[in-house]
Amino acid sequence: MCHQTVSLAARHLEENGIATVVMGCAKDIVEFVGVPRFLFSDFPLGNAAGRPKDPQSQALTLELALDVLESAPAARTTVQSPLRWRKDPSWKLDYSNIERLSPEEIRLRRQEFDQQKEIAKNIRDRAA
Amino acid sequence: MSQTEQGFGFAPEHDAPIPYMQRIRDYYLALGYATPYRWARYAEVPFQPLTKPLAECRVALITTAAPYQPGKGDQGPGAPYNAAAKFYDVYSGDSSIDHDLRISHLAIDRVHTTAEDSNTWFPLPQLRRCARAGRIGAVAPRFHGMPTNRSHRTTLEKDCPELLARCRADRADIAVLVAN
Repeated sequence: MCHQTVSLAARHLEENGIATVVMGCAKDIVEFVGVPRFLFSDFPLGNAAGRPKDPQSQALTLELALDVLESAPAARTTVQSPLRWRKDPSWKLDYSNIERLSPEEIRLRRQEFDQQKEIAKNIRDRAA
Repeated sequence: MSQTEQGFGFAPEHDAPIPYMQRIRDYYLALGYATPYRWARYAEVPFQPLTKPLAECRVALITTAAPYQPGKGDQGPGAPYNAAAKFYDVYSGDSSIDHDLRISHLAIDRVHTTAEDSNTWFPLPQLRRCARAGRIGAVAPRFHGMPTNRSHRTTLEKDCPELLARCRADRADIAVLVAN
């Protein structure tokens, strides 16, 4: 959801004369929406600006995003950061992967999802 | 992996960007939600070339992180998903000072990362460093927080125009948007 929101925001700013770059970790979502410039880090969601406790990787990541801003030749320019989260790519198999959950875990997650939805709805209703 | 593949140095098949849309669709289907989410999709993509060198541009930082809200549940490193910490209106903060922003209200990867270092999602200190180094002209006076809403209408008709108005008020030339 977050990647979609940011992509829609980038498009809106761009349409109105403000050049943009999106920094993100969900390549499919950003490219599906369609944005002008995108720096993709192949990292777990939550690390679009670099690796935790690693200022060097954070500096490089922002530097790459600025490079993309400067040099993208056309819309839908995606550049992938050369940084790797870790050598073993098996972390990519875990996120929301239904094949890795037992029926009991699925039941619990549904319960939890409904609870969180209710909490969010209450905040929204109060704010409205 | 076959012998031939080893010889070519191919990466394992699962070492590709995670197919989040497929994962999320399958996940909620298995949880019992039959109607898949309709993601926004456009055929045309706008493109605004830079009108001046980056070193003269005023840069706005846009985040989906939320200011820490005491009393709204666990928002610390390793916190489970916390809908109580969500926000529903664009907000702004002074770019010249540090801020305590959290991402417990977002669907980050809670297995492989813990949100312990805000520099991984809110690069304001790095952006200020770029301004000091002359890489960019300046950091815009405010950064802006963008609510993440399931409703396309809310994002497109309420939040995006508000964000644009604030960027314009700050005379931002360009924007760096960081997703979570």
